[in-house]
Amino acid sequence: MKDLNLTEKSHLMSDTKISAKGVQVYYGDNHAIKDVNVDIEDKTVTAFIGPSGCGKSTFLRTINRMNDTIDICRVEGDILIDGEDIYDPAVDPVQLRAKVGMVFQKPNPFPKSIYDNVAYGPKIHGLARNKAELDEIVEKSLRKAALWNEAKDRLQAPGTGLSGGQQQRLCIARAIATSPEVLLMDEPCSALDPIATAQVEELIDELRQSFSVVIVTHSMQQAARVSQKTAFFHLGNLVEFGETDKIFTNPEDPRTESYISGRIG
Amino acid sequence: MTASPKSSLLTVDARTKKRNAAEKRFKAYGIVAIAIGLMFLVVLLTSILRSGLPAFTNTVVALEATVTQEDYDAAEGQLLKTAAYEALLVAKVNEFLTAQGSTIEVDEDFITDRLVPKTGATIREFYKANPDQIGQPVTFNLPASTRISRYFEGDLLREDVTDSRFLMVEDLDVVDEMIAAGLITTAFDWNFITGTDTAVDNPGGAGIGASVIGSFFMMIVVLLLALPIGVAASIYLEEFAPKNRLTDLIEVNISNLAAVPSIVFGILGLAVFIQFAHLPQSAPLVGGLVLTLMTLPTIIISTRASLKSVPPSIRDAALGVGASKMQAVFHHVLPLAMPGILTGTIIGLAQALGETAPLLLIGMVGYVAREYPDGIISGFVDSNSAMPAQIYTWAARADTGFYEKAWGGIIVLLVFLLTMNLIAILLRRRFERRW
Repeated sequence: MKDLNLTEKSHLMSDTKISAKGVQVYYGDNHAIKDVNVDIEDKTVTAFIGPSGCGKSTFLRTINRMNDTIDICRVEGDILIDGEDIYDPAVDPVQLRAKVGMVFQKPNPFPKSIYDNVAYGPKIHGLARNKAELDEIVEKSLRKAALWNEAKDRLQAPGTGLSGGQQQRLCIARAIATSPEVLLMDEPCSALDPIATAQVEELIDELRQSFSVVIVTHSMQQAARVSQKTAFFHLGNLVEFGETDKIFTNPEDPRTESYISGRIG
Repeated sequence: MTASPKSSLLTVDARTKKRNAAEKRFKAYGIVAIAIGLMFLVVLLTSILRSGLPAFTNTVVALEATVTQEDYDAAEGQLLKTAAYEALLVAKVNEFLTAQGSTIEVDEDFITDRLVPKTGATIREFYKANPDQIGQPVTFNLPASTRISRYFEGDLLREDVTDSRFLMVEDLDVVDEMIAAGLITTAFDWNFITGTDTAVDNPGGAGIGASVIGSFFMMIVVLLLALPIGVAASIYLEEFAPKNRLTDLIEVNISNLAAVPSIVFGILGLAVFIQFAHLPQSAPLVGGLVLTLMTLPTIIISTRASLKSVPPSIRDAALGVGASKMQAVFHHVLPLAMPGILTGTIIGLAQALGETAPLLLIGMVGYVAREYPDGIISGFVDSNSAMPAQIYTWAARADTGFYEKAWGGIIVLLVFLLTMNLIAILLRRRFERRW
């Protein structure tokens, strides 16, 4: 049984985690994402770059169906996670979101204690059978999010009392506490100072060991620093997708080159 | 083009001067507006207190009497039992007058109609309740009639008194003797707070207690119905309902309902609850139902506003860790919206507490609440009055004693309203501090 699990896992590791096929997203009459096909690998950091309004955040939010909360939003095409269509009517978005965690642009801790922030996900998903297990999950998540040392003495202090960078790491800890398989990050550093940004970037690199991380960013340096794969979006189209090194040094599409060199945006 | 002269920061130019003047003017308008508002408030409060405070005190006549067992048995054996006790008092007062060296002699009409109305019943009830006091000397503090208490307080002058069945000029001689002997005094009137309404001829004995209870039962009905219905409706409309024509229509109509005059709710209550559903008339249950209808829009609007003010990032955060919509709402949004919801609810309740017009139509105004309800169920379904209805009833009666009581009732009502607002503030503080 254990062996089977291992072989299955190794099989997945080499495989694609998320596969988008002909994805179209409409906001009412506005065609926001036009026919995007992309395969995102497991245990890699994939960066989405592109000018504002190009649809990268929208596409990110289709991966855990956060767009469902917007009434006028309509998604067509298939998004497969581990080969399963997440837009299948049989899929409950709540279950999906436990598997696909999300960190938002602005740190948004719950106005509760640090402990409760991290423990909330495991609690509602029934991941801990007792208090000791919950404590363990909280500690593990905070350690992974590099917040344990700063927070261990003030677990009952409100999460909103932390600094911006700490709050964002708390949100990351909260997202990984439900042991997701994919972690989506929507410009996680845009509200942070350079030092906090560096800490979060370091963290992203470590998280790659356990998750498939997809990050939307406006900073090309950040994309180059943290990601292995980069996708460039422009006006709702996926213009180019490939190895980060290649995108930044030798892009195929002239639009990618113009954006990276700062001529369009 | 002429080169503009070099401007200095040390001199204020014309435009800036104008702007500063405009700002100063605006501030002055604001201060004037606040001053006018405060002035009205002060005038209102002083006039209410001046007119209403006397209702909390009454003029009492202290009469000492000893009722022996024989007196008691004789009185109870008679057809008109209260008259026997009154006769005892007549004898007492005449004894007092002789002792003072006065030649005046009073009769029973003086005691029962002009000095201390309804005395016999009071005394009889006292001895029925305290049979051990029979044979002991007991001092009765009996409320004086309106005219005599006004004479005692100096509102009514001897010159203005003409003989009538309410007061004879010669009565004032007796009263003067009693005042001189210290038998007539002013006392705090507990009966005003704990007592019940009386017939039109006895303003001195009227109390607001029964209608306070009526209002209390009405508020219970309103709270139990309006809070859950209103909050559930708002949560559904705000968080779950699809945004379409139908919900737009519902929203517009809720706002419209909030502006509907309250008397319309009263006539609706009369038609639906009393004539159609055959619920009892003048009952706090019906009053509560009508006021619930009136309060619902207020609660829904304020609840929706406070739900809206919870930042969407909190919902995203909850949904992002895999909470269902309901979990997101109940675990995160609702606790943050709670202070606003509570404030809205209490303000809605306070509004309902002071509402008179709907009660007019369901028969609570004009009902003379002479008795306290017997129990909880009777409190809901038996006819009763309510504070604003009681005030309205009193204000409509001819005797100036009732007019005073009406003002006093307003003070009691205001005390309740202020207490409720205070609770709203305290709750809001408490819940806000939790985060």
